[in-house]
Amino acid sequence: MADEQVLHAEAASAVVPGWEPRIIAFLCYWCSYTGADNAGTARLKYPANVDIIRVMCSGRIDPELIMTAFARGADGVLVCGCHIGDCHYLAGNHKTMARMPLVRSVLADLGIEPERFVHEWVSAAEGEKFAQLVRHTTEQIRQVGPLNWPKRMHDRGVGHGMDLQPWGDGR
Amino acid sequence: MNAQGGTGATNGKLKVAKYWASSCGGCDISLLEVGPHLLELIEAADVVFWPCAADFKYDDVAKYPDGYIDVCLFNGGVRSSEQEEIARLLRKKSKTLVAYGACAIDGGIPALANLTTPAEIYDVVYHQNPSLDNPNGVEPVPVFQTAHGELRLPDLYPQVLRLKDVVEVDYQIPGCPPQAHQVWKVLQAVVAGQVPARNDAVTVGCDDKAVCDECPRERRQVRVGGFRRSHQAIPEPGWCLLEQGFVCMGPATRSGCGALCVKANLGCRGCYTAPDGVEDRGTAMIGAIGSIIDATTEERAHEIVGQIADPIGTFYRFSLASSSLKGRR
Amino acid sequence: MAGTGGNGAGRGHSAAPDARIGVFICHCGGNISDVVDVKRVADEIGQLPGVVLTLTHMFVCSDPGQALIEQKIKEMSLNRVVVAACSPTLHQATFRRAVARAGLNPYLFEHVNIREQVSWVIVDKEQATRKAIRLIRAAVERTRHLIPLDKRRIPIYPAALVIGGGVAGLVAARDLATRGMKVTLVEHRPFLGGRMAQLHTVFPTGERARELLATLVHDVVRHPLITVLTNAQVVHSEGVVGDFQVRVRIEPRGADERLKDQGNAIAACPEETLNDFNFGLNRRKAIYMAYPGCYPPIPAIDWHSCTKCGKCVAAVGGKGIKLDEQPREVQLHCGVIVMATGHDPYEPLYGEFGYGIFPRVITLQQLIRLLDPEGPTGGQLLPGGPPPKRVAFIHCVGARQIEGQSNERAKDYCARTCCTAALHAALEIKEHHPETQITNFYQDIRTYGRGHEIYYERAAEQGVLFIRYKPERPPRVVPDPQERWPLVVQADDLLTGGLSLEAPADLVVLATGVGHHDIAELIGIYCCAVGADSFLLEIHPKLRPVEMSTSGVFLAGACQGPMNISEACAMASAAASKAAAHIAAAQIEMDPFIAKVDEAICTGCQTCLTVCPYAAITRDQARKVAQVNEALCTGCGTCAAACPSNAIQQFGFSDAQVLSELEMLLEGAAVV
Repeated sequence: MADEQVLHAEAASAVVPGWEPRIIAFLCYWCSYTGADNAGTARLKYPANVDIIRVMCSGRIDPELIMTAFARGADGVLVCGCHIGDCHYLAGNHKTMARMPLVRSVLADLGIEPERFVHEWVSAAEGEKFAQLVRHTTEQIRQVGPLNWPKRMHDRGVGHGMDLQPWGDGR
Repeated sequence: MNAQGGTGATNGKLKVAKYWASSCGGCDISLLEVGPHLLELIEAADVVFWPCAADFKYDDVAKYPDGYIDVCLFNGGVRSSEQEEIARLLRKKSKTLVAYGACAIDGGIPALANLTTPAEIYDVVYHQNPSLDNPNGVEPVPVFQTAHGELRLPDLYPQVLRLKDVVEVDYQIPGCPPQAHQVWKVLQAVVAGQVPARNDAVTVGCDDKAVCDECPRERRQVRVGGFRRSHQAIPEPGWCLLEQGFVCMGPATRSGCGALCVKANLGCRGCYTAPDGVEDRGTAMIGAIGSIIDATTEERAHEIVGQIADPIGTFYRFSLASSSLKGRR
Repeated sequence: MAGTGGNGAGRGHSAAPDARIGVFICHCGGNISDVVDVKRVADEIGQLPGVVLTLTHMFVCSDPGQALIEQKIKEMSLNRVVVAACSPTLHQATFRRAVARAGLNPYLFEHVNIREQVSWVIVDKEQATRKAIRLIRAAVERTRHLIPLDKRRIPIYPAALVIGGGVAGLVAARDLATRGMKVTLVEHRPFLGGRMAQLHTVFPTGERARELLATLVHDVVRHPLITVLTNAQVVHSEGVVGDFQVRVRIEPRGADERLKDQGNAIAACPEETLNDFNFGLNRRKAIYMAYPGCYPPIPAIDWHSCTKCGKCVAAVGGKGIKLDEQPREVQLHCGVIVMATGHDPYEPLYGEFGYGIFPRVITLQQLIRLLDPEGPTGGQLLPGGPPPKRVAFIHCVGARQIEGQSNERAKDYCARTCCTAALHAALEIKEHHPETQITNFYQDIRTYGRGHEIYYERAAEQGVLFIRYKPERPPRVVPDPQERWPLVVQADDLLTGGLSLEAPADLVVLATGVGHHDIAELIGIYCCAVGADSFLLEIHPKLRPVEMSTSGVFLAGACQGPMNISEACAMASAAASKAAAHIAAAQIEMDPFIAKVDEAICTGCQTCLTVCPYAAITRDQARKVAQVNEALCTGCGTCAAACPSNAIQQFGFSDAQVLSELEMLLEGAAVV
């Protein structure tokens, strides 16, 4: 679609040169956050692009947080929690698990590439898995390019219209 | 009614306007739905602009002094340059601007067009339609030269916008359309001068909670094992539709309509705007529905939510323009 | 007429306008400052509105570091504090306490991880510094939305319930009582002792298991503060930590202390059943004593086998046996609960390594019963015949299984104790029958504990052969085609590159894995967290190994995972100690990160009731709103995410707080 390509190119060029993917990760405190710590304790290395927001349980991750992250300019979102059966709060991750397919479906309909939204279970001992996840996700999103949602919406008049004059003025 | 505007200002009556932007006409009809009360309304108010029902021109409105219109009811979304210009005009000329109906407040059903582009829309309407007879592939053009001068069409915007995206809105009356009994309550309050303090789009003509509050059905704390569409089964009476597997937007939709659809055995479709404190109704419902399905494995979770037909059209049927992401990239 | 603000009120608390934020950035002795330019970070953060102080320090967690925080709070009237240092899992509590000592509410504090998640993982110093700035900026923003919170304090009823009468339960009960706590010990079998009673001698001391147990049982049953209920199970529990009302159902024993002539009563019984104390190696009567020296020293009737024929009653003149005894229930009130429900050994499948097909294939547990002179065969390995000339042990049966290689019941984890136990048993065989040839087929030899390796060394010295096999190609047990021996064990010897070997055997012993003892009902009653391996799950394996996330319930022994008796006793003492500390404090303190319903917004849709894993939310029928039980709420926040009206907020993780962090992280990310 012509409009798509134009908008995509506009968004990409509008971002500062030397663009780096900005990825927000929501991690649950007991498993995945501790797993991320585990990567640190093992001095594993990974890119700086993933900013971690901790919540107590992945069940706290409201789909609204995921959408808001994209809406505010994230190029990618990562959601991690305890493995099924291991949730510190019994079944919080079951709810996360069930919400994700709906989130994915909506993101797909909104034209957000599936690579931008990653959902993985990471346990407290899986530092290596976390490091790999960060590397892989960052690279994947680097390939897909900037999303720059605020600019797209701004260009389409969200929040300000097309800044026209009231009808009649200047006619 | 005085079609001259301006000079009729001193008769003590309220000056009321109603405009339809990107809308279906249902909101205009809904004003008539108040029925015999209209006669009371006419006692208290003069209509000074209502394209659906009276022959006022844009120029007439442009010539009114600023703030001349006491209350302007604006329905429909904004998706053309004309609609934006008129919205700005009416804001200038109105003391109070009210976003009337789901389209003006949240984009309404037309906002689902935000999942596509003007080019795709043109393609379907003018080229790829089975019932079309357009052998020359004629499309509207924005400017056309005639012997008598230049004709311009308004620009079609790439996105359906809400009224509040374009101008400051004082109040909003939700509904698709707003229900007559609520509209009448609002009009009475307006006439009596008893409206709440103006603020950033204060919601009136509704109640304070979500549809669940008005719903006569009961929840049984049962997890949902599968979803069905309304034509696939007859719901069991008295039991929450959502728990039975019929998608119902009630939990994330503002109350005030009297739970009309639910009482007719249909899951609430979500036309009455969001409850206070909720901006994105779609994610509110996704969060709620994902939390109550009966699955302990990923396969089962996928299977169950996969039965929801058209999630984006269902959860954002009236509110895509109010969602976090607004539309397709 | 209804009219409400459209600006999303009720998402948590709006930003405090008068924030005075102090930010402390730790060098961590170079661990952070070698990569992150902490001075630059301090400068940049210092420019944010509301930040009145930024400081860097070598070790903020040290005493001087904490003292500095306290001093600055007072000196500069700070009302919000941010510390950027190592992971909050290490020192968040430390810093909260420092903040509290300075008179500021400890929950007006944010902890930013710039070590494990920044300086230790990012190579490029510029990127690491910018990331640290980003994260701290977001935390500063988050502090504007914090409100003072108080830990929840719940009074504790001064009594404990110990569920399980094996060694772990007995140690826990004894230790609790030693500290002056009233204890009820509930054991679902008719006799105490659990799995330890089924052992003969224990490693590494070689002492007799039942003698050790007898001492322990003696201490427990004689203690005035301990009540022992056998044949008893928890059937219902209500209440929360500190105040559990527990209903225990006691099955009828059928006999009491008036029965003096136990031997005759048992001899008269015509019914027999497999004796599961001896793992099915022999049979016992329907009225029975589990083992010599068991407690209570009163026979019990196994109602599944008893036909109520009355012969036992007749044999003892009617005294002390009540065939029509009814179950009864008792109500217990306690403040803490210790789970000591133990483990079950893995039962090989019919045909697994020939188990069930060949009578000469037995489990290690059965071997131990056979070695026991008080066991079913009086210590004879092959009753009615000469001792075995050749014995084969196969390790890792039903444990360390590779997915897809074996049956679903087999476990993928190591069962820990069986290597030492198998070698201990092998040495015991050698002690009694030095000429017996023993071969151990193993994957690894894990004699990990203190005094365990010597079993391996001695076994090797005494000529025990060790054949290593690959997990993908386990040994095969088949009848000897030449019929010189009952069985032959075939294996591919990994250490010689897969050379095929055969070891003839009179007896094949399977060293089996362990699994959790099935306590599905208890797990349901107490909402216990369970790991993927089905054992009960502790809050944190290193720092909080005996506590469960259900407050007030503690773990002791093998219900938490495979372990030997020393480990079980250590855990039991730890659990008792923790439980006793709660009782001694007279109240329990819990994190305040619970959910709260804004009743003005709540529509009564009841989504949250369905969602809560702890059933901590109820509905007020009159007002049609949801209510969170503060004591039951564990603070997961799932209800807050599920609520379609955003009427539930989680303290400490409200929408306003999390969104402010999110939005600040992304500030400047996209260019409009």
